[in-house]
Amino acid sequence: MTTSEDVLATAEVDGRTRRRPPGLPLDPVRARGLVRWVVAVTTAVAIYVVFLLVQGADPATVVSAMVRAAAGSPGNIADTLVRATPLLLAALAVAVPARAGLFNIGGEGQLVIGAVAAAGAARVLGGAPTAVALPTMALVGAVAGLAWALLAGALKVFTATNEAISTLLLNYIATLLLTWLVFGPWKDPASLGQAYSPRLEEGQQLPDLLSGSLHVGVLMAVAVAVVVWVVLRTTSWGFQLRVVGGNPEAARRAGLRVSRLQVGALAVGGLIAGLGGMIEVAGVEERLRPEMMVGFGFVGFLASWLARHDPLKAILAAVVLGAIAIGGNGLKVAAGLSGSAVNILMAVLLLAVLGWARPSTAGGR
Amino acid sequence: MSTDPSADATPPVPPILAATGITMRFGDVVANRDVDFDVRPGEVHALLGENGAGKSTLMKVLYGVNQPQEGTVAVDGEAVDLASPVTARRLGIGMVFQDLRLVPALTVQENVELSVPGLPRGRDAARTAITSAGEAHGIPVDPARLVRQLSLAERQQVEILRALMAQARVLILDEPTSALAPQEVAALLDTIRGLRADGLGVVVITHKLAEAREVADRVTVLRGGEVVVAGRAPEEFTDAELVQHMVGVTVPVLPQDRAPVPRDRRPALEVAQLDVDTDDGRRAIRGATFSVAPGEIVGVAGVSGNGQRELADAVMGLLPRCEGRIEVAGHRVRPGSPRDALAAGAVHVPEDPVSDSVVSGLSVLEHLVLDGREHPATQLSMDWAGITRDGTAMRDQAALRLAPLSAGMATLSGGNIQRVLLARAFAARDLSLLVVAYPARGLDIASVRATQAELLRLRDAGVGILMVSEDLDELFTIADRILVLHDGEVAGIVDPAATTRQDVGRLMLQGAAA
Repeated sequence: MTTSEDVLATAEVDGRTRRRPPGLPLDPVRARGLVRWVVAVTTAVAIYVVFLLVQGADPATVVSAMVRAAAGSPGNIADTLVRATPLLLAALAVAVPARAGLFNIGGEGQLVIGAVAAAGAARVLGGAPTAVALPTMALVGAVAGLAWALLAGALKVFTATNEAISTLLLNYIATLLLTWLVFGPWKDPASLGQAYSPRLEEGQQLPDLLSGSLHVGVLMAVAVAVVVWVVLRTTSWGFQLRVVGGNPEAARRAGLRVSRLQVGALAVGGLIAGLGGMIEVAGVEERLRPEMMVGFGFVGFLASWLARHDPLKAILAAVVLGAIAIGGNGLKVAAGLSGSAVNILMAVLLLAVLGWARPSTAGGR
Repeated sequence: MSTDPSADATPPVPPILAATGITMRFGDVVANRDVDFDVRPGEVHALLGENGAGKSTLMKVLYGVNQPQEGTVAVDGEAVDLASPVTARRLGIGMVFQDLRLVPALTVQENVELSVPGLPRGRDAARTAITSAGEAHGIPVDPARLVRQLSLAERQQVEILRALMAQARVLILDEPTSALAPQEVAALLDTIRGLRADGLGVVVITHKLAEAREVADRVTVLRGGEVVVAGRAPEEFTDAELVQHMVGVTVPVLPQDRAPVPRDRRPALEVAQLDVDTDDGRRAIRGATFSVAPGEIVGVAGVSGNGQRELADAVMGLLPRCEGRIEVAGHRVRPGSPRDALAAGAVHVPEDPVSDSVVSGLSVLEHLVLDGREHPATQLSMDWAGITRDGTAMRDQAALRLAPLSAGMATLSGGNIQRVLLARAFAARDLSLLVVAYPARGLDIASVRATQAELLRLRDAGVGILMVSEDLDELFTIADRILVLHDGEVAGIVDPAATTRQDVGRLMLQGAAA
């Protein structure tokens, strides 16, 4: 496939607008961006180290414990990849709307709705064969995520409600819906007072890869990332999203359907997150639980911004953040810290990256 | 020893701002080579030159945006390090850019408050300070108005006032008259003379010789980054000599014989009883009725802010609050549906290209695709290879020199952005109607001539052209008819061959009653 960038790389470069001194592999603008990115991430880690020292923990011990927990054994690596899967899909749910200049803060709600819808489909399907059950659940989950995001899209088009606000608030509605279901109508009678839904049937669970702990959803997520990357880079739709993200008025004047593109980008984001919810419920939890998605949307948001909304880089970002999350399990043993102390690292990373890594608008190059 | 008696009588006033031996390179490109330039208190120094001659680069050196590789800048005779525009402003250097830098969503007062330190505290006190500063300099502004609602001339006045209130002693104006009406140009030149009388040094970057002659005490001409005329009185040269210095070659003349306008064919544009309201509920156009024949250029004249922008936008279907009928090549254009106009073969070069047509992050090539036509695609994917081929061919053939296709559009100068938009419009498929606002904006003499030649070529090919311009010379040169707008109404539609500029000016200022 060919993109404008590839073609232009071979095109003549003779103007004074292209200031690339000979011998430098990166042009200064990109180099500066990279430097800012590195400074932001380093600063965040430094703040975290200070936090560890204040807590009386030895940073070296903590880091080595985290690395061991996240990548110390094949099983640990599998845990990391499994955790990275919903994060990657949540990141893609942010990245696609970001191309059109939109902020989808609703990844978490869309994940939850996807999981709820997939679990609902599983209830209806009962003992249907796997070949029917899993594709149906995936489809229903994805469509539910799409519909959830479309609510925000409709609010944006018809009432000019900022999508960042509406998607954020829809998170709470989705989570409360999930909570109501598992405390009420969908509560597992055998759960002995615990609030969760009955376990999915055997044929409604995602098949495992290799050993037991890695499920096929990991590959599905990577495939989605590649597809999104290709679509954004090569299709007219991907190009039009970039135009809308760069200047909506110019897009309108060029005859693009700006509202439709924006709503479409949000919907595709919701679709991807909805699929992520199905994968999480069918691959990991195997039932609904109120806290099953807590924080995933925001960490996915962080992953997308770390990757500058590039779907392939988002794979790496999701794995790194998944490793940090799993690494948190090692903290308790090594430093007597709560496992959730890694959330502080993620939070400062998010702030640093939002604050410094990207001075220009979201969605541009 | 000098034999010139005047040199002995009054010792020369030392310059407020002087640049010596400036060399500025971008990569391998030398934008300025060993340039000297200065401005003294109480004088106007015009900087003339082609687009790309290095005028803006030099001014950005003087304003602290560019740091030259060689050369020094001195203020009041002392060498200074202009590390940033902040430093330059602190030293009393103010600049008004060609693409004005105000925040449209804020009021005039808020924009002034943003950049002028030491305004009196409190809303009313600041407002009084702005109003009285405006009166003192003969620049009337309404601090409460939103910048978004101001015409370009009014925005420019705000920018000038803002620089003055920040205690500027040197004011650099980049192509200040490029979009002004004759009366507005006269007013601006009066303002500049007033500033000179107040002892300011004024630098005017321009390519309009008449204005340079009218207001400048000295002119400097840059060509290819080098000084070819250094701070001489404009009376020393004829116009032809100055153009020769600027361009280096002779500018071709426009063809004089034009095909007659076919009146019997379906109009390229038909507008009937059109009322247009703006977002803030103001009626911008009242009862406009006119048509543009295929093969006709209808010029739109008017003082800035009399409805030109709204008329052009409404014709393109960009404004939702319209009453009346708009048809492009016989196809109805619904209000708020630019796709209707584009599908009927209309193409638009907007009044404010930077905010209305430049997409940040996209290259020149990617902008060429955004002409309102279907994007070239092979099955699912964009046909970038084909687009690049077409774009390269277009760049090679374009009458206008285009920036490299790979350059980021947002990094280009106003003139280079305009060239891209014009070239894109000229090359659009199935062109029936061209709506172009201020085609000459930011362009040098040779490019203006090339643009006019292209407009005439399209006219002869049967395209209807609606051309908004405030340059009466341009309208009289190429328009078949001139539609004069006054306060949102069509004050008259005149034949330039049978009308004087004074008559058009009266219609512009007084409307149909004139």
